[in-house]
Amino acid sequence: MNLVTATAAWLTNPAQWAGQFGIPNRLLEHVLIASISLAIALLLALPAGLAIGHTGRGAGVAASVANLGRSLPSLAVIAIAIPVTVLIDPVLGGTVLPTLVAMVVLAVPPILVNAYTGIAEVDRDLVEAGRGMGMREREILAGIELPVALPVVLGGIRSAAVQIVATATLGAIFGGGGLGRFLVDGIAQKDDGQVFGGVLLVAALAIATEVAVGLLQRVARSPGLRRGGRGPAVGIAPPPPVLGL
Amino acid sequence: MIDWVWLAGHLDAIVYRTWQHVYLAALGVAIGFAISFVLALVAARYRLLYSPISALAGILYTIPSLALFAALISITGFSVVTAEVPLVMYTLVILVRNIVAGLDGVPAEVLEAADGMGYTRRQRLWRVELPLAVPLIVAGLRLATVSTIGLVTITATISDAFGGLGYFILDGYHRLTFLTEMYAGALPSILLALGADLLFVRVQRRVTPWAQARALEANS
Amino acid sequence: MPEQAAHRAAIVEYQHVSKSYATAKLPRSAPGAVNDLSLTVPAGKICVLVGPSGCGKTTSLKMVNRLIEPTSGRILIDGADVAGRDATELRREIGYVIQQVGLFPHQTVGANVAVVPRLLGWPAARQRERAEELLALVGLDPALYRDRFPAQLSGGERQRVGVARALAADPPLMLMDEPFGAVDPIVRERLQNEFLRLQAELAKTILFVTHDIDEAIKMGDLVAVMQAGGHLEQFAPPAEILAAPASEFVADFVGADRGLKRLSLTRVGEMALQPVVTARAGDPAGEARARTFADPFPYLLLLDPSDRPIGWVNQRHIPGTGTLAPSLATPMSPLLDRRTTLKDALSMMLDADVQTGIVVDRAGRLRGVLTVEAIAAVLRPSADPEVIAAGTSGAGS
Repeated sequence: MNLVTATAAWLTNPAQWAGQFGIPNRLLEHVLIASISLAIALLLALPAGLAIGHTGRGAGVAASVANLGRSLPSLAVIAIAIPVTVLIDPVLGGTVLPTLVAMVVLAVPPILVNAYTGIAEVDRDLVEAGRGMGMREREILAGIELPVALPVVLGGIRSAAVQIVATATLGAIFGGGGLGRFLVDGIAQKDDGQVFGGVLLVAALAIATEVAVGLLQRVARSPGLRRGGRGPAVGIAPPPPVLGL
Repeated sequence: MIDWVWLAGHLDAIVYRTWQHVYLAALGVAIGFAISFVLALVAARYRLLYSPISALAGILYTIPSLALFAALISITGFSVVTAEVPLVMYTLVILVRNIVAGLDGVPAEVLEAADGMGYTRRQRLWRVELPLAVPLIVAGLRLATVSTIGLVTITATISDAFGGLGYFILDGYHRLTFLTEMYAGALPSILLALGADLLFVRVQRRVTPWAQARALEANS
Repeated sequence: MPEQAAHRAAIVEYQHVSKSYATAKLPRSAPGAVNDLSLTVPAGKICVLVGPSGCGKTTSLKMVNRLIEPTSGRILIDGADVAGRDATELRREIGYVIQQVGLFPHQTVGANVAVVPRLLGWPAARQRERAEELLALVGLDPALYRDRFPAQLSGGERQRVGVARALAADPPLMLMDEPFGAVDPIVRERLQNEFLRLQAELAKTILFVTHDIDEAIKMGDLVAVMQAGGHLEQFAPPAEILAAPASEFVADFVGADRGLKRLSLTRVGEMALQPVVTARAGDPAGEARARTFADPFPYLLLLDPSDRPIGWVNQRHIPGTGTLAPSLATPMSPLLDRRTTLKDALSMMLDADVQTGIVVDRAGRLRGVLTVEAIAAVLRPSADPEVIAAGTSGAGS
């Protein structure tokens, strides 16, 4: 078939694997921007989520924020960020930065929600036992709640990571880099091989991210907790049923 | 900052694109719901089929939407199908999972009582299981609708004929980042998404009177 | 449906019924299996299937409405094999009550009760009427409960709705699987008593499963004791199970306190009560004093003008002159009525640390007294066999 051969040709073309616009470089760009935004999102959402889960206060606000974030169309968020980011840096502000902002904004909700529900769902008896033994609040959080809630927390990070990879792909529309470039350029140049090659690469990266964090989730589950309870599925799990809070 | 002249001159276009946006989203969710309903009933009855359906759904959900749209262009060209197929697929992914979970959530004793009283399998499904699955189904529809509204903006990358309000976002960007136009697309699409979300919250409340009753009891 | 109205109570017969869960890999006798069960439940009686976990009692029950199909043997209802009928139609004619109740959370209490009538196509007005009738019957005010949702009810209330629901289409047969197991003991006792009262009116055939031997003895006209592996050990009225257990298993299962359990079979109403010296408040004290001293029992029972007991007065505390004041009486002994079982009566008297219980009628008026000795006499082998036999109809009387 034409499509298959075109794609194969594109992928095996050594020119694609070298230089600034080659696959490795684009991959690097993609991973780089994704990692930076994930780091920022974690910094913003994780401590807040853990604190809310532990103290139980602010869950309502957090839920609203999470809901809001989940509803926002990603393309619109990128667009809205532009006038702001342009002020920071006129060049990057029109390309990479708005995408970065959008990635952070969209990654915060899943991390936040999973962090606080994960902690909140830890058996209160365990917490009470810890308090009874004289552990301080911070020690309880770090020593009891977090280890037990880790798979759920990581689940949120997993959703966020996948979301970030997707949004980074969109960034190519606004002149950014990353693997999305192959899609955007391919469509513009009507180069099916490039488009499909890009599709495969993007899909591979997304799936790899999901699987990687999924494995991390599995490893993070303490052996003592392995039996019973919800186990994160290794491999690709569809989104968990939405409870619609 | 804001080019009011442009806005005044393009009100028609904005209205048109808003309707297109709603239409594309509604079509995607409606078709997606219909298909997922059938798939979920099948998966609930024949458990063995559920794993592969679920696995496939998971893979699809992970793939960034732009990639799916782009991939389809090569196959189905610049047509409505290219726009709708990914929209339907993402809806499917969310809804199948939620519908099955809803059906699974019916307590075992309710099923046993229903059987013992003489409901046929079909009656049990329609009069007991599905009504009780409604909360999760509506929650799924809520998420599906809101994400589909977001995804419709991305259909603008397929061609100028689509995109709903996303058309303005892309077109504005290509006109050297014409902010007014970009915002004319971005803000309404966000409002549309939030509006749909709020609508579904109200639907959720009305559709589960028994949950409200319990809440009232708890407070009295 | 005219034919239905004619049989208000059905006869259920198990003929060599077995259920095996054996497969090539699993052992022959898996929990829940039933082994060659044969028994007949007469119309209008409560038959209790009792035994330890996994003895097959629930399985036996569920084979009647075909939620489980037997591996061999037949079950007949009024002579007709249940296997010959369409299962869903069969179930609409049998009332089914389970431990977790299984009320439909998305429907109101009224709608829940009317489920089977609705399935049978009754007109809406009649459905509503019947639902209200039944709610009243089980002790729930229809005006208050009809439009509530199950989540708003307590465990005891839910179970009552479950019973009402099972009775809705006036079935000739009811299957009950540990129906009172999920509520606390106080509520359970009340539900049991009320159910017995209901059964006295309705006289349906009831198959009742429980793991609690006390409940079996209290509720059953006939008790079937089953062993692990689905074997029927004994099928007899409760008094006989207690007086003459057919095997060591039955004797063990019943418990070492068989004798005391027999006391739960007899009610105060069946006992001959003893007279006691009484006087009304305001009566002349001297005359009462004289009568009390003349009686071997050293206490006077003080009554109010309507003959309701106020309390005991020790003969030494009765003044020689003046009238009897209510303040002379010490706090009450427990009050018993006709329906109180001897076991409960004895228990109450022991709690209050008295030797004598006061028996009153429904209006609270004195009927006589019952002593611990009189109760103990029932346990003696030489006790009147009629008193013991009366225990078998204790469930219905």
